[in-house]
Amino acid sequence: MESVIFNIKRFDGERTWNQEYRLPRETNTLLGCLVRIREEQDPTLNFTSACRHAICGSCAVQVNGNAYLACETQLDALLETFETTTLYLEPLNNLPVVRDLVVDFDGLGEKVKKVSGWLEERADRCDHMQSQEEFHLISKPADCVLCGSCVSECRELAYDDGTYLPPAVMNKAYRFERDSRDGSRGARVLAALQNNLWKCIHCQQCTTKCPKHIPIAEEISYLRREALRMGEKDSSGARHAYSFYDDVKKTGLLNETMLALRTEGMVKTAANRTPFAIRMVAAGKMNPLHMPKPVAGIESVRKLYEFSRRNDKEARHV
Amino acid sequence: MSKKLRYAFFPGCTLESAAGELKIATELTCEKLGIKLDEIEGWTCCGAAQIQDIDDFLGVAINARNIALAEAAGHDKILTVCNTCTLMLRTAKKRLDEDEKLRAKVNEALAESGLEYKGTCEITHYLWALVEDVGLEALKAQVKTPLSDLSVANFYGCHILMPPDVMGFENPRNPHSMELVAEALGARNVDFEQRLACCGFHAIYPAEREAMLSNGVSCLTARDAGADCLVTPCPLCHMALDMWQADAQKHYDADITMPVLHLPQLVGLALGFAPKEMAVNRHLVKPTRMLEKKLARA
Amino acid sequence: MQTFDIVIVGAGGAGMAAALNASKEAGLKVAVLTKVFPTRSHTGAAQGGMNAALAYRDADDTVESHFFDTVKGSDYLAGQDAVEFFVSGMPDLVLELESMGVPFSRDERGRIAQRPFGGASRPRCCYSADKTGHVVLHALYENCLKQGVTFLDEYNLLDIAQTDGQLQGIVAIDLRRGEIVSFRARAAVIASGGFGRVYWSRTTNATNMTGDGVAACLRAGVPVKDPEFVQFHPTGLASTGVLLSEACRGEGGYLVNSEGERFMARYAPEKMELGPRDLVARSIETEIKEGRGFGEGMKSHVLLDMRHLGAEKIMERLPQVRDLAMSFEGVDMIADPVPIRPANHYMMGGIDVIDYRTCATVVDGLHAAGECSCISVHGANRLGGNSVSEVVFFGTQAGKAAAATARRRDFAGTSRLEGLEADWRRRFDEMRAKKSGKNLFEIRDRMAEAMWNGVGIFRDEAGMAQAERVVDACIADYADAFVGDDSKVYNSAFMNYVEVGNVLAIAKAVVMGARARTESRGSHSRQDFPARDDENFLAHTLVSLEDGAYRLDYRPVSITAFKPEERKY
Repeated sequence: MESVIFNIKRFDGERTWNQEYRLPRETNTLLGCLVRIREEQDPTLNFTSACRHAICGSCAVQVNGNAYLACETQLDALLETFETTTLYLEPLNNLPVVRDLVVDFDGLGEKVKKVSGWLEERADRCDHMQSQEEFHLISKPADCVLCGSCVSECRELAYDDGTYLPPAVMNKAYRFERDSRDGSRGARVLAALQNNLWKCIHCQQCTTKCPKHIPIAEEISYLRREALRMGEKDSSGARHAYSFYDDVKKTGLLNETMLALRTEGMVKTAANRTPFAIRMVAAGKMNPLHMPKPVAGIESVRKLYEFSRRNDKEARHV
Repeated sequence: MSKKLRYAFFPGCTLESAAGELKIATELTCEKLGIKLDEIEGWTCCGAAQIQDIDDFLGVAINARNIALAEAAGHDKILTVCNTCTLMLRTAKKRLDEDEKLRAKVNEALAESGLEYKGTCEITHYLWALVEDVGLEALKAQVKTPLSDLSVANFYGCHILMPPDVMGFENPRNPHSMELVAEALGARNVDFEQRLACCGFHAIYPAEREAMLSNGVSCLTARDAGADCLVTPCPLCHMALDMWQADAQKHYDADITMPVLHLPQLVGLALGFAPKEMAVNRHLVKPTRMLEKKLARA
Repeated sequence: MQTFDIVIVGAGGAGMAAALNASKEAGLKVAVLTKVFPTRSHTGAAQGGMNAALAYRDADDTVESHFFDTVKGSDYLAGQDAVEFFVSGMPDLVLELESMGVPFSRDERGRIAQRPFGGASRPRCCYSADKTGHVVLHALYENCLKQGVTFLDEYNLLDIAQTDGQLQGIVAIDLRRGEIVSFRARAAVIASGGFGRVYWSRTTNATNMTGDGVAACLRAGVPVKDPEFVQFHPTGLASTGVLLSEACRGEGGYLVNSEGERFMARYAPEKMELGPRDLVARSIETEIKEGRGFGEGMKSHVLLDMRHLGAEKIMERLPQVRDLAMSFEGVDMIADPVPIRPANHYMMGGIDVIDYRTCATVVDGLHAAGECSCISVHGANRLGGNSVSEVVFFGTQAGKAAAATARRRDFAGTSRLEGLEADWRRRFDEMRAKKSGKNLFEIRDRMAEAMWNGVGIFRDEAGMAQAERVVDACIADYADAFVGDDSKVYNSAFMNYVEVGNVLAIAKAVVMGARARTESRGSHSRQDFPARDDENFLAHTLVSLEDGAYRLDYRPVSITAFKPEERKY
């Protein structure tokens, strides 16, 4: 019978090593396999699980570098995806490891506090009403089970100094910003902003690996739009975005020559980017004299800007 | 290929400036492969996820305009060479096709300029077109200079894979297209840790340190795996990895030097173009001599 | 030794509701010990909703109607004073939860949406799609963060210390550090969840639902009330036992046998699929037994047909349920009927609470709430939609009462607490050092199989006597069980050992209560005694443990408003 090798990253609090286990290939979930290994081969193997049906968020682990909820992941599907009979299991990234596949989630609650991830009910509210449309704005983000998959996959967190907010926390901020019952809307946008909102790289890992299919990257974009709407435009990220916005309105194309200058301002650019600019010009990558001409039909582009501005209110809810 | 392939070509902003060499390589290789590219007249920037961070409706509308222009010119497929352009165009298309209200609103805005988004045009990427439309066998048949002495580390970039409900060409957890193309060209693929890493381009100013750290690892692990160069299907990844490589180097003591090729340049070399014809000398980390040496041995 | 005014054990719906209310009181030092990160708690698995007679969907609904339905559903074993207290408080509590941020589904007018549920005469089950427990749990957690509640995650309860009916504190293991820790407290709330894992794999329960608090109470001299009343949920997925919400039936799903018949017509001609859980579960098992099911042996099942509801309604109201059937049974309910079979789901019995207003137990200072407790508002059978309601409602009561207790009561001595702490430290060291012994998982599985076969949906004396023999043998073998991990840090194997000990202690109480109750009532269905016997058994079972010996007692049921009558649907 064909067997499957589980190569599991072990950690006992001091020592890290990899250990191989074999199971016959069978119809089972990844969690089922881990349970079999623990009960039949090695009682010292540690992992966490509880509900077995993808609602408690306990059992997320990495398989071949990708976060999965072990309970809902079929072994066959993994073997098919990775075209292999050897699976490499590791604890989630970007969270402290306790032992083997067990990580410490305590810090996540502290981060949720940073964005006031709870409802601050409007003071004037007493009817307990909310329309179905308003409910639908919060029902998807409320699906989050805090499993940590997005935390593990976030490409910014991987190299961050600890200040950036994990995607799951951004989702909490979004969920309450969109709640029609909330009386402190805007506060969480500012909190996210103070915690490096513009550092999201748009890599889409959070959206892609979320077992609940929450479009977190798009939610982060929403928080950015709200920040700008609130007039919070004084950051390199915001200026960078506006460079695109303004250039496209002017000519339809991005003026890369001016991008650094406008993102970081003259002083910082002169100080930090001069060697960069010289390299670029020397290689013929950048022509300081090149100013893009407007594309054919630029008026139709400007009309879209005009239309969007007019329809801004509705556009917010697109 | 029985029928000549024809696409509406969407170059994207970088091809007009920093990644001019990519435009050269794309056009030359397509011509050689018998692909007709009609550049969309009046195309604009896709928004690069930046305009989308300011004005969601506008982010969809400008791309609806781009697609509408291609549709009006009688095309049924747009070809891009940039991961992010592909994602932005496809996201707009998906939302327009699935949301009647949004589509009506966008068409109302386009109508002011006599344009209409119909939804008849697909959006593909050069990489996908090679695999899906040209076909790997046909590509292989056109190879003049098999890249048998070249070891390539494929750097996919995020937006050609994710989110999968928009992109959907292959499983983002284990993609193959880059390796399949490189293999058809005769090159040797090396596996390396950062194959599916992010280049950090979209936050390269606010998160410069993080991007540089990550890109340094990308270069280092590619080197450790024995790669001669990184290859990427995205000019934004190329910029982050090549133009900023000197900045990434500052974070590492070890030499991280690693040339980075655009995918069409790799294709061009195998189709018989000289490195200089593929304008590789425009890169900041010069691959010219390495390539000449490797190709001479082939 | 650490000292808190109030220690709460468990961070599910009851524990967090208790924590919120206990720590509202300024100046009280409160800690919540939890086996898992709070949002991993099993309250999150509740799908269908929570009952409250808000009378939104049906203007004629009343608190009295909720009261009667609950008492009738309980087969008249529920304490009627407690039920009345509970159902009367529910409408306000749901509105309070709404204000705390719970995202309820809405009706066309924007009011909290309600749906029909099994055993309820009116549609009063408030819901958030099919994730009600999940959103309630997360809202409670968010409010705990807001209020700065102190959580001690992965601190697992080991024992409760009391002498002469006075609480001293509790002993726990800090699993991450591998330290035995004792907590001195003026008041404690046990909210540690149910014990469905006495049936191990034949349950919808999470793997950690091992009745740690119930077993600790037994050992501390607090009786377990009505342990024999075990709810089997009619619609577990056939192959895994994963729960498909009662909302499936509530929204209009059909139960169909192999002859294509909606067989509930035979058992509950009026209510059909909306009969109470005990009745529907027995009906399904009867169909299977009489040869009208699908499959053989452990694969036997009937079908739950949702197709006539249409894709839109399924996607709007039952999205999670649809995903579950796809992930765990490979069936898309929009296109095909889903194979289902009853599975253990809920324990009506639990820690004997003697005052429903305060959730107090016989030990001064010790309170209990949630599934671990038995107040009793569910009696012999719990109605769907009453459990999330109960945990939040009585969690709230227990939290408030614990604050009052802490103000009233000084710390008791520490002799027993220190003794237990030393005992556990020695036991932890011994078990880690032990190199061989009986296989823990084998003991556990043997017990679960005996419980399923002998003390399952249908019971009789011979089967239960056999089950008790096996449980006794398992308890004897457990004394020589083997952990197999000598690590201090995060020793799950040791925790498994503790848990198996707990389910064994409770399994024994379940069998004893069941054997002694020579009648059929609610979920307790005896083939040798098919009738209800109010003369002898309109009473709560109390099982207690004294010096290693189990003892049985009975206590009359509080009957205030409704005289027991035959229960028909």
